[in-house]
Amino acid sequence: MPNNQDLAPILAGYERTRENLIPLLQEVQDRFHYLSVESVQAVADHLQLSANDVYGVATFYAQFRFVPPGRHHIKVCEGTACHVRGSDRILENISRLTGIVPGQTSADGQFSLERVACFGSCALAPVMVIDEKVYGRMTASKTTRLIEDKK
Amino acid sequence: MGIVSLTINGRPVEVEAGTTVLEAARTAGINIPTICAHKDLNPYGSCRMCIVEIEGVRGYPTSCTTPVAPGMRVTTESERLATLRNRTLELMFSGHPNSCLVCLHREACEQYRPQAVKAARSTRCGFCANRDECDLRAMALRAGSKELDLPTLYGSYTLERNDPFMDRDYNLCVLCGRCWRICEKIHGQPAISIINRGKWARIGTAFSQSHLYSGCTFCGACIDICPTGTLTDRFARWHGKPDREIASTCLLCSEGCSIISQSKQGQLLANVMIGFDRTDSLCALGRFAYAQIVNTGLRLIRPMEREGEDLIPTDWEAALETAAARLLTAKKKTATVISETITREERFLYKELTRCLGGELFVLQSSENEDNAVAAALAAAVQKGDIQALIVNGALLPAAVVEQIPFVLAIDCLPSEISRLATVVLPAAILSETEGSFRTSSGVIKNIAAASVAPGYARPEWSILCDLGRAMKFDGFSFQTAAEVGDLISDDPAPEIFAGNPRHNVRELPLRFRGHDLVDIVPALDAFSPLHSVKAAQIEETADGGFPILEKKEIVPNMHFYKIHAPQVAGFAQPGQFVILMARETSERSPFTLVDWNKEEGWISLVIEEVGRSSRELASLQTGGRIAHVSGPLGMPLTIERKGTVLLGGGCYGIGAIYPLARALHQAGNRVICAIEASSSYLLYQQAELQEVCDELLVATKDGSAGVRGGVQEILSWVAGQEPIHQFIAIGCTFMMRMVTELSRTLKIPTLVALNPIMVDGTGMCGACRVSIDKTTRFACIDGPIFDGHGVDWDELASRRSAYARQEVEALSQQVDLNELVLRPAGESCGCGGH
Repeated sequence: MPNNQDLAPILAGYERTRENLIPLLQEVQDRFHYLSVESVQAVADHLQLSANDVYGVATFYAQFRFVPPGRHHIKVCEGTACHVRGSDRILENISRLTGIVPGQTSADGQFSLERVACFGSCALAPVMVIDEKVYGRMTASKTTRLIEDKK
Repeated sequence: MGIVSLTINGRPVEVEAGTTVLEAARTAGINIPTICAHKDLNPYGSCRMCIVEIEGVRGYPTSCTTPVAPGMRVTTESERLATLRNRTLELMFSGHPNSCLVCLHREACEQYRPQAVKAARSTRCGFCANRDECDLRAMALRAGSKELDLPTLYGSYTLERNDPFMDRDYNLCVLCGRCWRICEKIHGQPAISIINRGKWARIGTAFSQSHLYSGCTFCGACIDICPTGTLTDRFARWHGKPDREIASTCLLCSEGCSIISQSKQGQLLANVMIGFDRTDSLCALGRFAYAQIVNTGLRLIRPMEREGEDLIPTDWEAALETAAARLLTAKKKTATVISETITREERFLYKELTRCLGGELFVLQSSENEDNAVAAALAAAVQKGDIQALIVNGALLPAAVVEQIPFVLAIDCLPSEISRLATVVLPAAILSETEGSFRTSSGVIKNIAAASVAPGYARPEWSILCDLGRAMKFDGFSFQTAAEVGDLISDDPAPEIFAGNPRHNVRELPLRFRGHDLVDIVPALDAFSPLHSVKAAQIEETADGGFPILEKKEIVPNMHFYKIHAPQVAGFAQPGQFVILMARETSERSPFTLVDWNKEEGWISLVIEEVGRSSRELASLQTGGRIAHVSGPLGMPLTIERKGTVLLGGGCYGIGAIYPLARALHQAGNRVICAIEASSSYLLYQQAELQEVCDELLVATKDGSAGVRGGVQEILSWVAGQEPIHQFIAIGCTFMMRMVTELSRTLKIPTLVALNPIMVDGTGMCGACRVSIDKTTRFACIDGPIFDGHGVDWDELASRRSAYARQEVEALSQQVDLNELVLRPAGESCGCGGH
């Protein structure tokens, strides 16, 4: 869990104005992979905002996470092309295998799951990404093998 | 700033430049409906009710965010606007419980039940504390339509009670944003914000932590500005709309904040800010605790005099006589110790009285307890015998000092170690019960208005002191009103500045009043104590013995299902019988109809609706917990005979209660039709189970979201038109049973109802459950609960059921849900925002 000391170098790069809120949150998340209670508070303090305000802004955007990601971060595309080619079945299968729904991290810290709007790889639909590696033309059985391999 | 001329609805209007179209219309006396707009808030434009047409402007701009321009031609009413506004209202209502507004029987129901049901979550106007003050409801009623085309999407948020003073039901929220906007305006950094997005957007705190940790100062502005029943003051919630508002001053510390005291029938409900500005803000004590202090059941209510070991209640005359006589024997050896939390007039009279007695007056700050500098100084004087009499108006000195003083006169509002040691105790009216003036620490003199009536025989201190002075034949105590006293005061010094800043930091609240620890009076203040987690753990431990809860779940909002291990009850239960439960050893007894039981496995099941203190105590128990007492089976079972076609009507808890009757009647060879009603589809339950034990299941909802639109009444008419009904049995709220009984009388269908009067022992001894059936007095507990519906005196039943309405409201627990605070500390939310 990041403490304020870890955040200090990041915070130092931003002037204390509200306009810097989102870039700052993005950099904090890039560095720590999620926004913790402490980092939201630190960002709020730096920009002289209330933590509630910062949290309100952050939860508006799908890009911010509030729980640490698992060792393997799974993103499933729910864009139009993937949707018509059955991405919901893939998502369902992953949920069943990992016991988590989008936004969660499994209790053993192995997997986290995210629903994404489009990767721009519609030709490969349905698409999923595990740890930045793209897997196209997925089926339920292919996902099962992938997940079992990573367990 | 120039003047701008425009026309609104063809009328020329002149306003200052920069004015919004909405303000301009209001200036011209033209009303435009709004929800999110508020005179003390900046334009926001979220609710879209205030749309208008402006010539040359595309679309329908919101008048609250559109500034006037020269020559603008505005139309505020047109068919198009009316349609759009009604659509907007419908959209808002699709996320706000609305079944009462579209119910065919709303007027009759509200006439029958003038007070809203004190449910946990408000699933309709009839269950909402804000019914009489709701902007949204008023708007819908004005629109006049009973049709809402959009489906209801109930939010299913749990009622939030994890802070000391508020009940927050976000299922009612329409996201107008008034709350967080006023919070930001008053406090700069808001303690709440809109979190998440889209369908999941809601008002909340960072990581959904308790308001205790979100920077909330509990000024209550959000509650007072909320147009719906989403945010409520837990204490005042079910007392209804105040009937009086009066400007006054808070006496709890020397800052002396201006307040508006709201009262109803002489009872103080709350203090609110005089305006929605930063300078008007109040601390948690001034806003929320004030009414709880004044209304506490611990108050001293009659004069008392010591006889040997005991304090004996007496009358004012005798008590004053004794006090006067004893004080006169201690002239020049009297000390008066008072708290500054009284009016100037009272302080002046204490000073005068002490001067006449040749004694010395000590005034203590509001935050002082019994261990203070004055106590130390007095201790020495007491030792030397220099003090023979003490006049004290609070728990302001240690018992060790007080017990050495031969005569002690306590003029106080609450019992304490001192009032127990005193020779004479006089009950004082306090805070909102007294009148006069107050000099604040900044030197300003403010008015104190009496907003509520003192309990019992308690009297304002100024009048007690006048009587005492006169009883001692001192000059200068002949005043008829506090104002006459006030006229004589000219040079009183301003009190010392209070050290903390409670309006901005809840950890700096003066948690004492006249030396009394406020946590003892306002239990929720315990949440500000760092030890609250320890106490929560103790609450858990009290559950031992009793009846194990095998299963407990909230099946639909406010409706809780229980499976309880109670072999003695299960062994003898029959359809139509009930049990009496006590959640804890100290709980009240309350009756609940048996839904199911299993003799072999030794369990019973119940459905309990959370509508008051006892059911809330039960609802707070969980699977694995224990219910202190289960007694039963009680009451006469239904006689199961083969009648032909039997229609069973169930509403609310009755949906569960008709289940065993349906099963038994079905087994006896009857054609059983079950008719169930709920306000909306999301409140229906147990349909699959009922389907199994009846020939036909018919559903009605008040908003038409499932089955027939209407209730059991509509189903009864319909079925009666299709086939002969040989027996009709109704279980549900008294209003439903009464309505359907009136109908079945005209249809000449034999009707049975299960009555639900207030019940205490359940064995026919106390007579609380007395009902009149065919002009004969019967006891629901042993002669019933099932009676011939056509013989019931419904008016009597209704009036007996509401006999303790006020006490029932007052009995609602003001405790913080400490367990919830402990179970969900800050930052442990899953982060998904409840998806």
